[in-house]
Amino acid sequence: MKLGYLSSFAVLATVVSCGASADENFLGHVKGAEVLPKGASDLYMKVNWRSDKGQGNYDAVDIFAEYEYGVSDRFQFGVGVKGRSVDTEGLLIDGYLPKEGNFGPKLAGLEVTGKYMFLSPALDDFGLASYVTLDYDWMDPHSGQDKNTLSLELELIGQKYFLEGQLIWMGNLSVEGTYSDRGALEGLPADFEWPTDPEMELEITAGTGVSYRFAPNWFIGAEIEYQTEFETEVGQERYSWFAGPSLHYGGQSMWATLTWLPQISGGGEMYEGQLDTGLHLIEKTKNEVIFKIGFNF
Amino acid sequence: MNRNLGLLFAMPLLGITQSVYAKDYLSVAEAQAVLFPTADTFLENVLTLTKDQKKAIKRLSGVRQRWDEQKVWRAEAGGQFLGWFMVDEVVGKHEFITYAAAISPEGHVLGVEVMSYRETHGYQVMEAGWRAHFVGKGVGDAFKLNDDVPNISGATLSCRNMTDGVHRLLALAEVMLKP
Repeated sequence: MKLGYLSSFAVLATVVSCGASADENFLGHVKGAEVLPKGASDLYMKVNWRSDKGQGNYDAVDIFAEYEYGVSDRFQFGVGVKGRSVDTEGLLIDGYLPKEGNFGPKLAGLEVTGKYMFLSPALDDFGLASYVTLDYDWMDPHSGQDKNTLSLELELIGQKYFLEGQLIWMGNLSVEGTYSDRGALEGLPADFEWPTDPEMELEITAGTGVSYRFAPNWFIGAEIEYQTEFETEVGQERYSWFAGPSLHYGGQSMWATLTWLPQISGGGEMYEGQLDTGLHLIEKTKNEVIFKIGFNF
Repeated sequence: MNRNLGLLFAMPLLGITQSVYAKDYLSVAEAQAVLFPTADTFLENVLTLTKDQKKAIKRLSGVRQRWDEQKVWRAEAGGQFLGWFMVDEVVGKHEFITYAAAISPEGHVLGVEVMSYRETHGYQVMEAGWRAHFVGKGVGDAFKLNDDVPNISGATLSCRNMTDGVHRLLALAEVMLKP
């Protein structure tokens, strides 16, 4: 799997950074309520390595780079681009993983985000923000095949400081609606289906986590997240619980977060012959390793 | 893939080497000279706080006294007592913010100087105009951020903790230094 161009982009971002922080991510998935101050901006990159579906070999890497700008002291706006790579062998799942192979890396989608802070956690004691994401993807994150999706996610974010800010609690609740349309696929295995009729999906995610500053600039954190998806045909298609630790560095001009987020429990649809029956492994994996880095200007 | 992932996960090291530096603006002696320009003597003393004294400080200021010890200097000019000089640390977003406060013998703020500030935003805390909002305040005065002391966007936590810190030092002076 070649991620050379994305790595180069990250190196470039590192080299050119020399300024400022604000929408700093302390955890892997769960977000905080603060926004960039007016006129400030940051460049942020997220690498999400998803691996292990219980059989065969499965590795997928999602890379997301976003530029965020503080329009006011309460509202920030962001535009981002996605890259993706899926490498799978030894496992075929009817309707989900129709082919083995190495798909990507290639550009996979575009995203526009907006975050409005109603209450500041440092000023109002409890922080409250809404986060809106409009996302257009053209590569299926599970199989690597062509799939056009248009998603709108609405998220509510809570945050509270404890111990004068040394301990941070964050909580998120989001609903995402997705319209998806798969491209036709040739050479499917016998009896495999690859529906090309458009479908609607509804995903609900709830997460909470804490981050504690154990030394100047260094934070250790933990988060837990529940995610479920409902689909046109099958009702509740899947649910998963993820939980894991994070290590975060926050400095004057940059921040970085490394998170391990294994799936600890799950259910819903299972693939034929699935051995780990306590997990959802069709659309999710056993492990996620997330690395984020942000530079402030 | 491992080679590329290794490169990506190694990125923070490069960034961290760029950003790990401290910005210290004033030494203790320099802060003393700024806050008590006429003083010729600074008598150093380390106060050790009991649990009851820490509770009394919290009761007066509403802020937790984090440290068990507090270093204070008695500033004098020609034997005349000018006030107390204290150095304090409060939690910033990433690091501690070090600042000094001058408190009059009657228990009012004479001045505040930031000695070390390493945060991303909020360098306006260095400006005399912002720090002037503390001058004259006593322990019984209001210390609400954005009402009594202006907030600085992007550095709200730093502003809140510095505001609370000055209030706490006034309470400490009331509990520990009043004759």
